[in-house]
Amino acid sequence: MEKDKTFTSEGNGISQAWNPILGMGIQDSELNRNCFFNPNCEDQRDLFESALSSIVSSPVSSHPGIPIPGSADCIVLRELIGRLGSICNSSEISPHNSCYNTPLNSPPNLNLSITDHQIQGNYHPIPPAPFPTDPGFVERAARFSNFGGKNESFKAAGLGDSMEEPSVSETGTKEKSTNRRKRKVVPKGKGKETQSSTTISAKDDKVVAEVEKGESDAKRSKSNEKSTEPPKDYIHVRARRGQATDSHSLAERVRREKISERMKFLQDLVPGCNKVTGKAVMLDEIINYVQSLQRQVEFLSMKLATVNPRMDVNMEALLSKDMFRPLVSLPNNVSPFDASVQPFPYGLQSQINGMIPDGPENQISMNPLMAAMHRNSITKPPHIDGFGEASTLWENDLQSVVKMAIGQDQPQGFHGQMKVEL
Amino acid sequence: MHTSSTLKKEFLKKWIKGLQICCSSNKKMDLMERKKKIKLSADIAMASAKNPATSWSNALISEAKKNKQDTILVNSLLGTESDLKPQKNTDRIISVHKRVQYKKILKRSCNAGKRMNKKKNLVATILAKRLVKKRTKVLKRLVPGGESMNEFSLIKEAMDYMLSLKVQVDVMRSVVTAAEVLSEDKLMKLVE
Repeated sequence: MEKDKTFTSEGNGISQAWNPILGMGIQDSELNRNCFFNPNCEDQRDLFESALSSIVSSPVSSHPGIPIPGSADCIVLRELIGRLGSICNSSEISPHNSCYNTPLNSPPNLNLSITDHQIQGNYHPIPPAPFPTDPGFVERAARFSNFGGKNESFKAAGLGDSMEEPSVSETGTKEKSTNRRKRKVVPKGKGKETQSSTTISAKDDKVVAEVEKGESDAKRSKSNEKSTEPPKDYIHVRARRGQATDSHSLAERVRREKISERMKFLQDLVPGCNKVTGKAVMLDEIINYVQSLQRQVEFLSMKLATVNPRMDVNMEALLSKDMFRPLVSLPNNVSPFDASVQPFPYGLQSQINGMIPDGPENQISMNPLMAAMHRNSITKPPHIDGFGEASTLWENDLQSVVKMAIGQDQPQGFHGQMKVEL
Repeated sequence: MHTSSTLKKEFLKKWIKGLQICCSSNKKMDLMERKKKIKLSADIAMASAKNPATSWSNALISEAKKNKQDTILVNSLLGTESDLKPQKNTDRIISVHKRVQYKKILKRSCNAGKRMNKKKNLVATILAKRLVKKRTKVLKRLVPGGESMNEFSLIKEAMDYMLSLKVQVDVMRSVVTAAEVLSEDKLMKLVE
């Protein structure tokens, strides 16, 4: 609940943050954003393409420092487009292949389609998948709350997070060929991905596109090993401008991002860590928190050991109580409890033993425990069915005494005191 | 949250069961022993109540099993679940991880000379990396079964462990307060 809210707000915040980034240097940022969020992008593909063509053309023209003349540049880019397009199209396009489903693909695909009409034609069979942002975050939050150690939660998170990068990189880097993308392939469809990710190395100020299949294969195998998700899953990464294109460093970067992604989750878990940035400090906080929790457990167990010399009583009561309705009224049961304490001067056990067998008395012993447990004060006394089972545990002739005690009127004096203690 | 309340109930049930088993043995225990028993049963209850897919829970259970005194408790709590498999897995994982670690050490020593030439060796980054490394080591020690994990899964396990610790603390605290209340009432009545 709370986590969901934080996540949705986070999602909103991030989506809002996109706007300034997107709007930075690009004319048709609106379209880009809409395309990202719109599952059915096909209608807007043309607009998108034109937008991207403007993007491509403007930086090329605005960078006089590029030694390669414009035409040669375009040729190189066209080659790149061709190669990438052919690579994209040669792989199996299945409707469930999220590699194509996510609009993460739309920027690279649309990049490619600018000058090559042939490739354009190939985009129609690609089904756009629903890829909402806010719902995605909500989904991630919902999944994250079911923290059963499932991988799916992190996949969804990965999808959600990896969404941010293409837009940012799209606007940040003016050179089309050095866009950086990260896609996670969810193995819903076929696991065989023949598409190899291409690593583009940008050397200094030159716009040179190189498709290195061998390296990408090596990188892919590495990221396979490093990813903790099912083996069918792997990550496509493109090298950023000015960075090394080793398979090692790429995999390193992937790994780093995964870690930072999870650190963000941790920020929400650990209280008071919202403003902390940086791994070291975050880790410090996490360590402190875990240590404090462990110490609390120790302390509480020690306390329980001192409070309860026999270590058995409340537990039985709690157990039997827990099997049935947990909600118990506080005020109703205080007084009979009060009254019934008297006949049992000796151990707590006998006290509760005596109380358990009869129906309404079960409320009594349960009450302070369960009231403390659940902090509810609903005035409906629980209907206790199976307490007969519990009573077999303690056969006690104090039952009669208890009945007597219950029969009395119920003074309310104890009520305030109970509240104070709890 | 929905899942945490069910988790709490599960944990509570198992914990109570464990404590009952403890108390069925008639020998007298002093404070420390009692405390240990309580804590142990709480931990095992936590580990078993949680989805056994998480590795820290398996690690906890396997550690508890190694201690022969407590095996009775553990086994009875866990019932007839065959937990041998996860134990084997963790052992294997540990050995594999150690191998990987040794290789990393070798690699690092080889590359140490090369790294110095790169531009990235600013003092700040080095310091930051060292801090991070130190702290991940500490975290590894804290989270049960964390020794044999790489950094990535360590964080995930830590998150999981944190959540369940929270649940454990909440449940225990309420039980303790309830027990206190009961005992105080009893004492008051005794005094009167």
